[in-house]
Amino acid sequence: MSTDKPHKKRDIFIYGPIDPAFVAESIAKHASRTDIGGHEIFLGQVRADELAAAQGSATSALTTGNQQLATVQAIDYTAYRDMANEQMMPIREEAFARWPITCLHVYHSQGVIKAGELCFFVFASAAHRQAAREAVAYVTDEVKRRLPIFGKEIVADGSHQWKNNS
Amino acid sequence: MEVKLFGMIAEKAGAETIAVAAATVRELRLAAEARIDGLAAMSYAIAVDRRIADDALKLDGNEEVALLPPFAGG
Repeated sequence: MSTDKPHKKRDIFIYGPIDPAFVAESIAKHASRTDIGGHEIFLGQVRADELAAAQGSATSALTTGNQQLATVQAIDYTAYRDMANEQMMPIREEAFARWPITCLHVYHSQGVIKAGELCFFVFASAAHRQAAREAVAYVTDEVKRRLPIFGKEIVADGSHQWKNNS
Repeated sequence: MEVKLFGMIAEKAGAETIAVAAATVRELRLAAEARIDGLAAMSYAIAVDRRIADDALKLDGNEEVALLPPFAGG
């Protein structure tokens, strides 16, 4: 496989959920890199949060004044794709500058991702575990904080609420 | 100039873009808030050429401009 240098601009978005088989294939691709001693992976999964209030639907049971909870069925992710891919570049550069990692891969879903499906995949490899661990933790946090990705949490009755990381 | 809208802001506006005339980011902000109900009460950022910009930045009309509601990746 090619070395994975920080300056490359690439598209982090995958339409639909991240297939666990894709994660397995990504790991397998590193078998030829015998300088690697450890991989660290973060996988984000859509959680079936209980929402106490919703917006966007006048017919929602949630707007009738009772305190009924509604469960998130899915998140519909959209993104300002060009900006997100551009903003990913300095995050990659920062990670490569701070930790001696050999590769870093980041993928995020677009479209409707159901509860229980994977929506976010951060994967770093290094000679030693500490660098890979710290780089994944950093990149995961910075992607959530700095990339213009938007999430509409869809509940069972068809109403929705906008997810907010801040 | 054409302004790209995303997420909750696109939903409020009922459109993916709006057209406004503005010479600074501040003017753009005020014009957008006059056009989109509820925007003034929202937390949002303005991106100019795919970077977050502050109010003082001057615009010549050729920039790529977008209104960004709170981020929700991950």
